[in-house]
Amino acid sequence: MNPLIFTTILMTVLLGTMIVMMSSHWLMIWIGFEMNLLAIIPILMKKYNPRTMEASTKYFLTQATASMLLMMAIIINLMHSGQWTITKVFNPTASIIMTSALAMKLGLTPFHFWVPEVTQGISLTSGLILLTWQKLAPMSILYQISPSINLNILLTMAVLSILVGGWGGLNQTQLRKIMAYSSIAHMGWMTAVLVYSPTLTMLNMLIYIMMTLTMFMLFIHSSSTTTLSLSHTWNKTPLTTTLILITLLSMGGLPPLSGFMPKWMIIQELTKNSSIILPTLMAIMALLNLYFYMRLTYSTSLTMFPSTNNMKMKWQFETKRITLLPPLIVMSSLLLPLTPMLSILD
Amino acid sequence: MLKIIIPTIMLMPLTWLSKKNMIWINTTTYSLLISLISLSLLNQPSNNSLNFSLMFFSDPLSAPLLVLTTWLLPLMLMASQHHLSKEPLIRKKLYITMLTMLQTFLIMTFTATELISFYILFEATLVPTLIIITRWGNQTERLNAGLYFLFYTLMGSLPLLVALISIQNLTGSLNFLLIQYWNQALPDSWSNIFLWLACMMAFMVKMPLYGLHLWLPKAHVEAPIAGSMVLAAILLKLGGYGMLRITTMLNPQTSFMAYPFLMLSLWGMIMTSSICLRQTDLKSLIAYSSVSHMALVIVAVLIQTPWSYMGATALMIAHGLTSSMLFCLANSNYERTHSRTMILARGLQTLLPLMAAWWLLASLTNLALPPSINLIGELFVVMSSFSWSNITIILMGANITITALYSLYMLITTQRGKYTHHINSIKPSFTRENALMALHMTPLLLLSLNPKIILGFTY
Repeated sequence: MNPLIFTTILMTVLLGTMIVMMSSHWLMIWIGFEMNLLAIIPILMKKYNPRTMEASTKYFLTQATASMLLMMAIIINLMHSGQWTITKVFNPTASIIMTSALAMKLGLTPFHFWVPEVTQGISLTSGLILLTWQKLAPMSILYQISPSINLNILLTMAVLSILVGGWGGLNQTQLRKIMAYSSIAHMGWMTAVLVYSPTLTMLNMLIYIMMTLTMFMLFIHSSSTTTLSLSHTWNKTPLTTTLILITLLSMGGLPPLSGFMPKWMIIQELTKNSSIILPTLMAIMALLNLYFYMRLTYSTSLTMFPSTNNMKMKWQFETKRITLLPPLIVMSSLLLPLTPMLSILD
Repeated sequence: MLKIIIPTIMLMPLTWLSKKNMIWINTTTYSLLISLISLSLLNQPSNNSLNFSLMFFSDPLSAPLLVLTTWLLPLMLMASQHHLSKEPLIRKKLYITMLTMLQTFLIMTFTATELISFYILFEATLVPTLIIITRWGNQTERLNAGLYFLFYTLMGSLPLLVALISIQNLTGSLNFLLIQYWNQALPDSWSNIFLWLACMMAFMVKMPLYGLHLWLPKAHVEAPIAGSMVLAAILLKLGGYGMLRITTMLNPQTSFMAYPFLMLSLWGMIMTSSICLRQTDLKSLIAYSSVSHMALVIVAVLIQTPWSYMGATALMIAHGLTSSMLFCLANSNYERTHSRTMILARGLQTLLPLMAAWWLLASLTNLALPPSINLIGELFVVMSSFSWSNITIILMGANITITALYSLYMLITTQRGKYTHHINSIKPSFTRENALMALHMTPLLLLSLNPKIILGFTY
């Protein structure tokens, strides 16, 4: 794509999300979502083949439906409150419709079906933008309406998302689908604590974005989209295998890596609000996620998979320069001792 | 405590910056020096704990375990030299880094005051151990072994995290030094029963309790020698240590909640000892004998009498040294014949008489011969369980007999009789191996002169 046009489209995506995050008028928020959606379709379709066309179409249809539902919720809110300012939602119906719309945008169960298929159909870089940047806008709206969300619906969606994210990823070998199911599960964790402490949602989002960025960059670095091709990294850059191990263990939420911090804080917040069974169940279901991460580490870092002679061809190509990979890796694995600093968020 | 933790962390740069022919010398020497520092902790002046800071403390229970941990690192390094000798330099350094990281986490776990900090470090010990087992083990079964190890422990310990956080919300602090003074009886309710279960199951899986012990034979057998040593000697004791710490907060539910686990342990120790009599795999035999000894520790911790606590602590230290020594001996066989089958290398006394002397001493301490500290531990446990209920003497007596049976079975199979014709060309024992066994045996024998230091805080 022409670099100038690509930059314009990328800036439109950024601008759309910024408009969503910074507006106080509901109509502007809807406009921001639409701008974001329309501009990201060309980015998803960077390579022009039927698979990306299908993925982009699915993405467009689901997100457009969600935007329409969002518009309906906005109108019902307008009808009952008489004003367009974004504060809490004044009508339970509008709240439920808005929560469902935002869940569709995020990929929470039962609206998660588009996430694996869309992520699989697009290139790694587009998948990166899809799973990290696109989550910021709906999450910011959820943050702002959090006092008025129906707790039952949100918690049901959260727990089901963690379940689906765990179980769905078990049978996958394609890395992008694995990242998609991991995203569904992490969204579940984020929305579970939304009503109790939205700050922790933002913390989880931050750490999730760091870890997903790291993972995708490691995948891009070794140009691998399947488990099999990831298992050949020991041939080319053995150091990457160690980094993949550390980042995957961090995503699974193992102490002492920084992926444990959001889980720990969320469990703490939930138990402070006297729900004990819920965080126990959530924590145990996160182990399903850990299982397929472990499977990836087994084939990549902890064993040396047999590789054919073709793999030695990879030595001929220059390694891609990945910006910001070292700081990202450090941040996605070593942040746990900084947990006491979270007290500044109160 | 930083005087132990910082040198241990600095062992990592030492490894990476050493020259090729100096890595083993440097790391073994410095880790021996660190263990000498930790010996000073054994001087516990009063009944209270020695408090180094708000975050670290050591009391008569954790000091012997800490000394055992730091003592074991040089021994692990000595034991790993042979099987790593053919690996490239970076992999050797990675291995030593994993061992050092594990050591750091273990030292911090045993001296943590805050229970959440204890939890995080307890979980943190899983990662280096998993990497050691899965990356450097020798058979394909090691992958399954690593998964079992990780997931059994995590399933048990996630409820512990929730329980610790809810206790912190209820009582305001999880600092262990404070809790021992604040202790009040837990009210009797269903949710407190689940709290008890949540707190104890993590340690039960780690010990391991008989019904949850499936990870242990896999992990011990598939791990390389240093992994087996640290698993058997220290990581199992983490469970015992955690149970000893957390039962102070869990009264009075323990009086009735402990019954199922007592039954499982009492029956389990007989079962696992009996299985040892039918093992063909040497490391598997030692692994099941670990389960059996740890079942005694579980019984001791759950009946909560002063003598049983003394027995539990002594048994943990004694078993740590003994089973680590047995794994080293099994590994010396494995390095020569590359097989763990017992009958494949028998009659070794004729070929390696000095090693046979170490086999004899290790088997004798394993079956708790007087006056070793193994006997002191087992005897205290048997006595206190007899006073708790007279009938347990039958099971305990049967267990001691069966332990003697399989220890002698192991000794006689590997050492006595005519040697097999295909091992007449094995290499003689290295000085390193003899030194390793001597360094295991000497503390064990010397402690029988003054067992007071390992008897824990109820002495």
